[in-house]
Amino acid sequence: MSSTEVGVPSTRIAAGGGSRFDLLRLAVYSDAALLVVAGGLVIFYAPADAVEGIVQKIFYLHVPAAIAAYLCFGAVLVGGLVYLWNESPAADRLARSGAEVGLVFTTVTLVMGSIWAKPIWGSYWVWWDARLVSTLVLWLIYAGYLLARRIAAPGRQAARFGAVIGVVGFIDVPIVHFSVTWWRTIHPPVETAAPSSLPPEMLLTFAVSTLAVLLLSGVLIGYRYRIETLRDSLAAALDR
Amino acid sequence: MLPALGQFVVLALLVANFAFDVENAGNRIAPGVLWLTITFAGLVAFGRTFASERDQASLEPLLLTPANRSAIFAGKAFAAAAILAAIEVILVPALGVFFDTPVLSLPLALALVLATIGMASLGCLFAALAAQTRARDLLLPVLALPLWIPFVIVGGRAVQVALGSGGEINGALALLLDFDILFVVVASLAAKFVLDD
Repeated sequence: MSSTEVGVPSTRIAAGGGSRFDLLRLAVYSDAALLVVAGGLVIFYAPADAVEGIVQKIFYLHVPAAIAAYLCFGAVLVGGLVYLWNESPAADRLARSGAEVGLVFTTVTLVMGSIWAKPIWGSYWVWWDARLVSTLVLWLIYAGYLLARRIAAPGRQAARFGAVIGVVGFIDVPIVHFSVTWWRTIHPPVETAAPSSLPPEMLLTFAVSTLAVLLLSGVLIGYRYRIETLRDSLAAALDR
Repeated sequence: MLPALGQFVVLALLVANFAFDVENAGNRIAPGVLWLTITFAGLVAFGRTFASERDQASLEPLLLTPANRSAIFAGKAFAAAAILAAIEVILVPALGVFFDTPVLSLPLALALVLATIGMASLGCLFAALAAQTRARDLLLPVLALPLWIPFVIVGGRAVQVALGSGGEINGALALLLDFDILFVVVASLAAKFVLDD
């Protein structure tokens, strides 16, 4: 059976890699180069921290991953709101791509943070830090989001449920953050390392690695979005 | 359903009594036992909220009635809150008896009432969502528990204070009221999209 027989226009199938100028592919190559540069800067250029030593270099991956995760979940929020407003399939594709990529970066953030916390705070996990708890809850909410999408009937139901979970979940995260901060103020105070102002070498390394990681998240969302587009058109073709 | 939930509560206290070091920890663990039982008994109860609609496939006929979607959701949420309150009415005296804790206090009752309202609105929203899917028993806890966390953090503290750990409770009660207002509004707005066909 040829593709025209099941009603899939061949141009749409080719949309993934056929066009002559592919912005996404350009972004992949630039980001690969940028990641190498960032890695080199982190290892060879950025000085070791006076207090924390070499462990501090986790910061250059940990913080950009956290920023990327929040931007991804922002995409889930915006995609969800737009979907609830006008049922646009494109908005839903953006939301589900954002949730998957965001979950990956949240995992990176949590794991890197725990590895950093062990030598600095003395334990992998503490419950008095609002960022830790709210990031964990964030991870749980969007893991639930992906599970719900998988379990719900594909199409409108999955999109609608996803949008509701994405929006309500996004509201919950600052509430959790605030609750832990409030809870901590009534508990014995805990020593926290005050972030001192960064020397220029560290600042440059941080800027480059942030750019590299953000571009990586954009590239991953872009490819995920393309795959979802193809999957949608395949489902539409099989429906016909 | 209520006799079964009453049994569930007593069983949870039985397990807690032997799992925790009650002899030495005294009633310091009572607030934790209270919250663990409320959250998990609540999940069992909310899983049943839409059970009859699902078993008899009557959700769609219910949605076809002239009743407003928000009104249907509000009715379900009130019923869910009533069931959660009934669980607490069984749980709190049982906790007092089994853990030798003075439970008769107005702040404790207020904290539980306030937490019940917000938890029921969120729980009912996700129960409605989960009931329309295949693996509803799996989906409800995974979705509802992370969103109940603020109530557990603040309500947990309120119950600790009410059961005698010292401190001030008004801030916690005010915060619970704020959460209630926020999540009742959010859940009512979201219900329209969950109870859609």
